[in-house]
Amino acid sequence: MRIPLERKVLNENDRIAAGLRERFRERGVFCLNLISSPGSGKTSLLERTLEGFNKSRRVAVLTGDIQTDNDARRLARFGFPVRQITTGGACHLDARMVERALADIPDDYQILFLENVGNLVCPTSYDLGEEARAVVLSVTEGEDKPLKYPATFHHADLMVLNKIDLLPYVPFQMELAREYARRVQPDIEIVDVSCTTGEGLDQWRAWLEARL
Amino acid sequence: MSIAASVLDAVRTETALRPGARAIRAGLRIGELSGVEPDSLRFCLEALVSGSDLDPLAFDIELRPWKRRCLDCQAEFRVLEFNPACAVCGSSSTEAAGGDEMEFAYLEVEEP
Repeated sequence: MRIPLERKVLNENDRIAAGLRERFRERGVFCLNLISSPGSGKTSLLERTLEGFNKSRRVAVLTGDIQTDNDARRLARFGFPVRQITTGGACHLDARMVERALADIPDDYQILFLENVGNLVCPTSYDLGEEARAVVLSVTEGEDKPLKYPATFHHADLMVLNKIDLLPYVPFQMELAREYARRVQPDIEIVDVSCTTGEGLDQWRAWLEARL
Repeated sequence: MSIAASVLDAVRTETALRPGARAIRAGLRIGELSGVEPDSLRFCLEALVSGSDLDPLAFDIELRPWKRRCLDCQAEFRVLEFNPACAVCGSSSTEAAGGDEMEFAYLEVEEP
């Protein structure tokens, strides 16, 4: 006998994510899911972002890694609540991990950053209840990443091209990277930044502030 | 792997609703833009099923194409060569119309 099911494979994750999204909406929280390959600069971008925030801003960060709490320690020195989610092998964050970690921080944040596990594949499939997704691509990677990992770029609202201070030393073609990203997601917004020199960070902050 | 595990959890939940039934085939729909590679998914599913209580559950994985819809001529078209422009009229004003499916379509069970 064939039983029609017609439902999403990750419906349990999606159910929890929908609950989180509803909670964020009621409280007026802007939640951003940050995705990239390992080493593209998600943590550096967050460091520069937190550093620029007035201490009165209500910001919280959950950062995911397979092992270690190194990222949480890097981010905690700015004085905002930061929790490390150690996935213990899982290559992505899921909505349940986020829900659990949130139970552990004061419930008054207005901006919530979710730094996903460094991986351009698996995090794509897991809704975390976020309002927007940003994918970080650094110029030391290939400009064809958007074509190689179309699902990730297709589901992103923003692409952050990072490490632009290294452009004189690498063959990365910015225009091609932008074109490839727009092919898989014509509506994607793009900002070019260097977390080392600070170039372009104003644009990134403007993108964020426009969403708050 | 955790997606494969979610599939098997769902199979067990559905089967448990029917005492004595045995799941024999699960039908899935995987879109080109879902971020899931159907061959890897099949590999993970088979690895988890082998030797488990679900052995020899079979899988039917249907691939769904990446599609967009034209906002000018309303045509729905398949995206080829990463080209988001309308395949019918060439317009560049198009919107997403499918390809990110990751769905459990059906479960086939044998009842006593």
